[in-house]
Amino acid sequence: MTSARSFAALTLFTGLAAAVLFVLHLGLGTVWIPPDRVVLALLDRSTDPTDLTIVRELRLPRAILGLLVGCMLGLSGALLQVVMRNRLAEPGLTGVSAGGILAAVLFLAGLWGLPPPGRLLPFVVLLGALAGGTLVLFVSSVRGRIDPLRLILTAVIVNAILGSLTSIVMLRSQQALGSILAWLIGSLNGRVWDDVWLALPWAAVGIPAGLLAARAANVLQLDDESGRALGLPLQPARVAMFGLAAFLAAGAVSVSGAIPFVGLMAPNAARAIAGADARRLLPLSALIGCVLLLAADLVAQSLSIRPPIPSSSYRVGLPVGAVLAVFGAPLLIILLRRSIR
Amino acid sequence: MNDAEPLRLAEVSAGYGQRTVLDGLDLGLRQGTITAIVGPNGSGKSTVIRAMARLLPTRSGVVLLDGRDIQSLGSRDIARLVSVLPQSPTSPPGLTVRELVELGRFPHTGLFGRFGAEGARAVESALTLTELSDFVERPVDELSGGERQRAWIALALAQGASTLLLDEPTTFLDVRHQFEVLDLVASLCSSRGMTVVLVLHDLVHAANYADRVVVVDAGRIVADGAPSEVLTVELMRTVFGVAARVFTNPESGRVFCLPVGTGGS
Repeated sequence: MTSARSFAALTLFTGLAAAVLFVLHLGLGTVWIPPDRVVLALLDRSTDPTDLTIVRELRLPRAILGLLVGCMLGLSGALLQVVMRNRLAEPGLTGVSAGGILAAVLFLAGLWGLPPPGRLLPFVVLLGALAGGTLVLFVSSVRGRIDPLRLILTAVIVNAILGSLTSIVMLRSQQALGSILAWLIGSLNGRVWDDVWLALPWAAVGIPAGLLAARAANVLQLDDESGRALGLPLQPARVAMFGLAAFLAAGAVSVSGAIPFVGLMAPNAARAIAGADARRLLPLSALIGCVLLLAADLVAQSLSIRPPIPSSSYRVGLPVGAVLAVFGAPLLIILLRRSIR
Repeated sequence: MNDAEPLRLAEVSAGYGQRTVLDGLDLGLRQGTITAIVGPNGSGKSTVIRAMARLLPTRSGVVLLDGRDIQSLGSRDIARLVSVLPQSPTSPPGLTVRELVELGRFPHTGLFGRFGAEGARAVESALTLTELSDFVERPVDELSGGERQRAWIALALAQGASTLLLDEPTTFLDVRHQFEVLDLVASLCSSRGMTVVLVLHDLVHAANYADRVVVVDAGRIVADGAPSEVLTVELMRTVFGVAARVFTNPESGRVFCLPVGTGGS
């Protein structure tokens, strides 16, 4: 679809877009800081201590998380579409989001009798997310064989079950509804450096590993017989690639909740732009994921709402997941109408 | 055992689930020749190819690749020695010819290895031999049937194996494209000394292109030899259940058989 040269240009352009959004993201907030001052503060050259504090301490963690989570979701979605041979596959279909959320809901509702939220929550989500992914893989394998179609159907069913369990718990504990909703919708509000340190190891391992899987991903995109004839052991490759996608999605969910659409839109956009070769599809999908999430979070930050809590009068930013659902869905429909004839 | 045999099935039995498809089959390939495997539907023709490349595990017997037991080889080792073109291969929408053919290098580069100059050369020469150099940026799924088949053959060639197994490569192609594909295969055999196995339905093609015809019925070899020895009126009746006439083409000296009916039985 694209030559090596135009692909390099494309990657550069997407990377630049991500960088611009990153700087804008850091500038936006209660106090607007212009891009030049943001860059100075980022480089530690700023003479204004307020700029330094706001940019480096308060806003940088959220922007970095936007980059990491967007990248992980974009890559995870692209890998899943390869494994499931289906362009509607997305990280939500790994059982990871549903598992993570169920764990979060159980925890927040105090059903385990544990002390309320605190710093433990992301770890709980992480465990739930990994358990959800493992469950999908386990249920869908028959005599050690993973079939793409069976995998996607199983994932839908397991997700439905975990989702209804979540609803039941939520009905029983309405006082925790507010914080539970933020996990359900997906949000980066109020994220701090601790959250970055939590997500960073997952990104640092998962992203390079995901990109290195491109060759095997290409072979998996062929029919089974051709793939095996090229010497790729299909079953281990599928399990590994699904595991990698679930690993990336779990890292994302644990710090941001179930952010929708990024993992679905990014790979579809990347495929429409750069074609089917995973060596281009995977990195581009990761980059587009960053751009989408940063852009959506930029919008989310600038639109604030007054939460319906009687005692409070402060305004909070919209959860980024809500922005993505509202603006992302129509975008995705346009994209699919154009790219699938 | 013969050293010039790139591949040999010795007493091989194989099947799917409860069903036995190959029943103690013996077959050795000769270096640099074209062997056509023919037989009725469900006779086990495709299974022979699948057993040869370990795409299907054998239940008993031995498959020898370059004289070595195929069980002792890794999947990528096998893929470096034997290329297989399955019956109906599929590539994802939008994958270009070049991208497809580059996948042929997978057995050499593996997951993380470098593509390298040798890989680039193999891909270029495969594209040239299959006359696809003008199509490299075209998506495979938008090509015509004949071009698409050539693209898959190019992938098999880029693999760099000296044995090529093709499972009904002419099915779904019009008559001109059938000849194109078979001519390409014949030229690979003569110019590169490749050993080729063709699973064919069309006995005319088998007689025209093969050095040797192997007839498989119910998982066993029932006839094996030069086309003129094997393709007889008697064989057509007993194996395929049709009455046929067998002629010799005065120009090529090759036989061709013309089925005329079910024999009225």
